[in-house]
Amino acid sequence: MVQAVLFSLASVPAAGQTQTATETGAVRRTAEGTPDLSGIWQVMNTAAWDIQDHPAQKGVPAGQGVVEGNELPYLPAAAAKKKANYDNRATADPETKCYLPGVPRITYMPYPFQITQSQKQVTILYEYVHAVRNIFLGTPHIKGPIDWWMGDSRGRWEGNTLVVDVLEFNDETWFDRAGNFHSDALHVVERYTPVGPDLINYEATIEDPKVFSKPWKMSMLLYRHKEKNAQILEYECFSF
Amino acid sequence: MRKSWSTSAFRFESNIAARRPLEGGSALKNWFSSSAIAAAALAVALSLTSVPVAGQWSKTHPITAGCPSPAAGFHPCALGKAKTFNPSKTPDGQPDLQGIWEAPVAMGFQNIEDFPGDPSPGGFGPAITSIVDPPDGRVPYQPWARAQRDENVAHYIDPYAQCLPTSVPRQMANFRTREITQFSGYITIVNEAGGHIYRVVYTDGRPHVGPDIKLWMGDGRGHWEGNTLVIETTNLNGRAWFDSEGQFYSDSMRVVERLTMVDVNTIHYQATMDDPKVYTRPWTMVWPLERIKEKGYEQMEEACHEGDHDAAGFTLGGFKPYFGPRFPK
Repeated sequence: MVQAVLFSLASVPAAGQTQTATETGAVRRTAEGTPDLSGIWQVMNTAAWDIQDHPAQKGVPAGQGVVEGNELPYLPAAAAKKKANYDNRATADPETKCYLPGVPRITYMPYPFQITQSQKQVTILYEYVHAVRNIFLGTPHIKGPIDWWMGDSRGRWEGNTLVVDVLEFNDETWFDRAGNFHSDALHVVERYTPVGPDLINYEATIEDPKVFSKPWKMSMLLYRHKEKNAQILEYECFSF
Repeated sequence: MRKSWSTSAFRFESNIAARRPLEGGSALKNWFSSSAIAAAALAVALSLTSVPVAGQWSKTHPITAGCPSPAAGFHPCALGKAKTFNPSKTPDGQPDLQGIWEAPVAMGFQNIEDFPGDPSPGGFGPAITSIVDPPDGRVPYQPWARAQRDENVAHYIDPYAQCLPTSVPRQMANFRTREITQFSGYITIVNEAGGHIYRVVYTDGRPHVGPDIKLWMGDGRGHWEGNTLVIETTNLNGRAWFDSEGQFYSDSMRVVERLTMVDVNTIHYQATMDDPKVYTRPWTMVWPLERIKEKGYEQMEEACHEGDHDAAGFTLGGFKPYFGPRFPK
């Protein structure tokens, strides 16, 4: 029996595999019966530095990637740009200028965020630069083109999963400090699936035909802050 | 509008302007264009073109909810009406303040005191005070602090113009809208403009965070007194202004806000400031919040810092960044 437990603990997903998790206990639900995602959440990973497998560097913990299969399907010119981005990342990463970090990067910044939820809207309040996303449920995208840092988010429930379709991005954010980037043709589909009372499986499918030869996917877990006094504070990046 | 819908999104800004026309507000643009820092300030100027200037609003919007719009008249009149108004309730029995609100006659963006108007080209027009107590409509500064307020205007940059958060109570007075949503145990106030700002006000009885935590938006705790939502805010960092004219406070300020429905589309908003380091006594401002009635109205992204690079321009113009009160030694 003990052996079996040890064995199961050892079967941690290999690099780049889709994270799957289960948790004892029922998914929380609203009075209407939809999953209740409200609460304060945060990732426990190093994707903000690099969404792919990476060794440690000064100030950067080593980390297992969050990209399915680990490799990104860059078009040739885009692969060269990614490399240049990486070489210049200390100053070229837009996040170093304290700009809104875009989607999905805002999800895996090393700061907590609070989800609030009503029948018509899911709102995410991020500690990082007071970023806000209003995810409107059951309404069509605004007719673009618009260049928004955080895109236009429209959500719907598919079973227990909140599916968020995000369009109308600018081309000024990166996916991480390592220089992974996109164009203004970016289309993100996020999937928030609670797998227990305090754990959300988060997936983001990335489509950008100007930069990538095919869509790709990242996934990670969101952990609920359960401290009794947990609340969102502030990181007003450019005020220092 | 601040250059939030930057670059190509300007076309979108015009959509918004079309759907929600606001009057006045070119004063700042003119002020900047007459200065040596015009180019650098252009972003700011563009960004502010649709700000309603309070003095103009008091002319075009003289009545709110059947009461005079200026604070001295609105305050007693609206509270009188509120006594007989029975607001609808949320499922858990709270008076329902939910919705998207704007503050078109608030002086918060321009000058919270009576202001005769600046005769210089493009200067602000006249403003009527939002202060109902003390009765003279003036901030009861200690003498050094009144002098410092004058110095702020002359030499320092309004932190709001640098895209820093509005703080409290300016969050409830700045231009564009704010959405109030009530949940079990907390209330959120999320603004469209002001450099992506929001507050989560806990109503579950938890204590404030520790005194060493200083926040732009403070630490708000709410409770109900009858139909009035009372929010007590502490832990402010003291780095913001109340208006564009240097009115200031310290990190010791405690703000008590009172939100009371006057009718289905109007809130009587009141904020009492207590800061013994800066003022001789507590003082109170009042303004109306008006509901956005457009069906399906959505608050959108405002990305101020990302589009505005005006701090350098201000610095070139001789203005300094503001980092809080400079207490006498």
